[in-house]
Amino acid sequence: MSLNAKWVPMKWPCGPIEIARISKSRPADSELRKTIEGWTQPSTLQLLKGTPINCLVVDWASGTADDEAQQRALKPLIAAGRALGLSFVGKVGTRENIAAIVAAGRAAGLEAVMMDGPANHPLDLPVILGFPRDSVDWDVTTEIFSATGNVWPGVVLPTMKGDTGVGGPTGEPWMDSNGWFALLARQMVSNKSVWLEIDLPESSGALPVESYCRAIADSRAYSSHWVLTLDAAMRTGMLNSDPQAISVWKSIGVMLSFFEEHAEWATYKPMGILAVVSDFRGPNSFLSGETLNLLSRRHVQYEILDRKRALAGSVTGLKAVLWTDDDPPSAEQHRNLLDFVEQGGLVIAPKYWGPAGAGPRHEYWLSGYDIYDLGKGRIVVASGGFSDPFQLARDTHLLVGRENDLARLFNPGTTNCSTSIGPDRRKEIVQIVNYASRSASYLAVWVSLNAHGARLWSPGSKTPHSLECIPESGGTSFELPEFSVNCAIEIERMV
Amino acid sequence: MTAKMKSSRRQFLGAMTMAAGAYLARPSMLSAQQAPAGRVAVGLCSVYNRQVVDVLSTMFDQLGGLEKLVRGKTVAVKLNMGGTPTLRLRYLQPGMTTWAHPQVVGALVHLLGRAGAQRIRLLESAWLTTEPLQQFMIGAGWIPGDFERSANRVEFENTNYLGSGKTYARFMVPHGGLLFTGYDLNQSYRDCDVFISMAKLKEHRTAGVTLSMKNCFGITPCTIYGQDVPEDEPSLIPTGGRYLLHSGARQPPKSAPPAVDLNAPKEDGYRVPRVVADLVAARPIDLAVVDGIYTMAGGETPAQGAGVSVAIHPGLLIAGTNCVSTDAACMALMGFDPMADRGTPPFERCDSTLRLAEQLGVGIRDLSRVDVAGTPISKARFDFRKAWNSLV
Repeated sequence: MSLNAKWVPMKWPCGPIEIARISKSRPADSELRKTIEGWTQPSTLQLLKGTPINCLVVDWASGTADDEAQQRALKPLIAAGRALGLSFVGKVGTRENIAAIVAAGRAAGLEAVMMDGPANHPLDLPVILGFPRDSVDWDVTTEIFSATGNVWPGVVLPTMKGDTGVGGPTGEPWMDSNGWFALLARQMVSNKSVWLEIDLPESSGALPVESYCRAIADSRAYSSHWVLTLDAAMRTGMLNSDPQAISVWKSIGVMLSFFEEHAEWATYKPMGILAVVSDFRGPNSFLSGETLNLLSRRHVQYEILDRKRALAGSVTGLKAVLWTDDDPPSAEQHRNLLDFVEQGGLVIAPKYWGPAGAGPRHEYWLSGYDIYDLGKGRIVVASGGFSDPFQLARDTHLLVGRENDLARLFNPGTTNCSTSIGPDRRKEIVQIVNYASRSASYLAVWVSLNAHGARLWSPGSKTPHSLECIPESGGTSFELPEFSVNCAIEIERMV
Repeated sequence: MTAKMKSSRRQFLGAMTMAAGAYLARPSMLSAQQAPAGRVAVGLCSVYNRQVVDVLSTMFDQLGGLEKLVRGKTVAVKLNMGGTPTLRLRYLQPGMTTWAHPQVVGALVHLLGRAGAQRIRLLESAWLTTEPLQQFMIGAGWIPGDFERSANRVEFENTNYLGSGKTYARFMVPHGGLLFTGYDLNQSYRDCDVFISMAKLKEHRTAGVTLSMKNCFGITPCTIYGQDVPEDEPSLIPTGGRYLLHSGARQPPKSAPPAVDLNAPKEDGYRVPRVVADLVAARPIDLAVVDGIYTMAGGETPAQGAGVSVAIHPGLLIAGTNCVSTDAACMALMGFDPMADRGTPPFERCDSTLRLAEQLGVGIRDLSRVDVAGTPISKARFDFRKAWNSLV
């Protein structure tokens, strides 16, 4: 038995453990209790018909008195699901009797267990390890691993905190996205899959359909999986065949199918002429992670390199390296980075570690940095080190130069994009996600290449829409029709 | 954050006062009191291509020739690149609607170079950033290298902060000013022999029209006139839009020249035209160039949606040696009465910048007293409101 990278996961809250959980927060909610009992019934699995969902995440053990009843209640559900071709992953929230719990799970038909930390001894089932996303131990991640502490994708509206306005540092609408973390996970452990667990936002009723679809798009466009989670109102509605809930459910299925039909995009390589280098661990994780987030907000496309393994050979395909950690490069990295600079590369670092004797110069528009010209390139050093990721992302974009942008959005509003390239380098994909509930309109996308042709793929449409390639500023522009949540431009490159 | 001063604060203010005094002594400033008319040239130009150079060249000849104005001089050109570089009206590039088109900028640079300008400096206060102006241009899809190739020694400066200078330059408004006694600006507006305002032919929700004069609203640095600036001294980086000029809700830092009257109305329709009139009196425009080949009607920004700005094609270029007279001709070409004032289009909710500038002695708006060369206004008129009504 092994973990399957093709699993499309969904959280399936049911059974006594879930009832005990909601009894603490909503003790009087008898309808929700009825819903949970309903979702424990095997017949509910029929709701999955026609969707790509093939893996259900269920509570298996919580270390409480409810565990035995939970496992008993799940057995018919698991058996029925297995007969339908579904896989089940059991969440285990205890270390007591772990071997027995897992063995029981295997006997009941579970194919894996999900746990917050590694077990001390081998288990009968493969493990999906879970981590808070700000402290992922990249060295012990499992083939599939999960991350908690993610944000609910969307626009954060400015609010007031006391007498102080709270908004994004750009002064523009602030968008919450997990895209940067998915990119990080993908590039730190390239052959593994990350599942994002996201707490649903507080809502008085059912979440709007766009909200669900955005959460799917924000994960899948960056090659991760959101463990699909439905709110209580939605689950109740589906159980009662409420037309509105069924309609939302169909749209969720369409969005999931869209990404399954284009599963090859997830294998494309993220593009970037800037590499962000860090160990992304411990004290370095906040600055480096938030810098990635803020570079994404500026539509800067980047590669991510694990400092522990990066730059072992000559640096190719890059124009700039942002070295975010205070730790200096190893002797080998040092040599390769200096070669890169000598050949015309740019290195941005918190400390100077270039050849002794070089004197810095300054630019009036770049306050707080020392610039060392070496060969054809530059090492740019922050005089006081790095501390503010917003400033670092902005200055990095400025130093790399907009002339090196790979993509630009015009009328971006609340959209963001990611670019990736196919294995034969003939196709480039630009995936665009809209983080607002209002449709994106008059969005134009510019890419820095000469396009041979382009097609627009949208969820729900089996055939692509041909896009005109408009030469502009040494690249190509595309004018996109109005869209709700997401779309993707498939570009044929001139090679 | 506050601006770093290499010298003491006292020396800093003293240096600025000396600069202002030197500037006030210039004869061109003093002669502005007599409200000169200048000359205006109107050219028909339907496309952004080589034709722009030819039409502008003819127009400059009609104005008396560019060479005698710029030969051997440092020429500063205030561009018209307001707002963010990524915002467009529908899918149209900003040069087609909101900003003077890069083809017109390039044509002007080329003609300035050909006329012997020693140094050409392209200036703009790039929105919310200290990045070099070239980077801001690239963000909009422009290619600054095109301008550099159009003439010798072309420079760029983002004037929304201190920029490459050591101190801000102080410009006092003759006769005390309408809203502020003076303005502290990026030194680029002082360190030039000739100042050109290159604007787009368009309307403005707060000022009625955005032409060569209103373009100069953007010469004010947001490190001094922006939202959230410190109480005492300029900020290091622009902190927001020119909120305090619009609303008067607060004063600029104490280091800047003070308001004429702290109790002046807080209404933007009162304030913005006065700030503009003050600025063009304090920092005179030697040549106004207005791009009206393609533009938009209904407003100054590419706001999307029904009932807002629409793209139009007047096919016009306008230039003049006096900004008030040039803007008066532009208004007439747009189908407005340049003698109009508050309550009459396009000044439905604001005072007329033209009247206020005329009062300050900058120039005259009565077209019967202005020499208009080239295509007669009556034959080139493009009614903005009629176009807007037909397209919305």
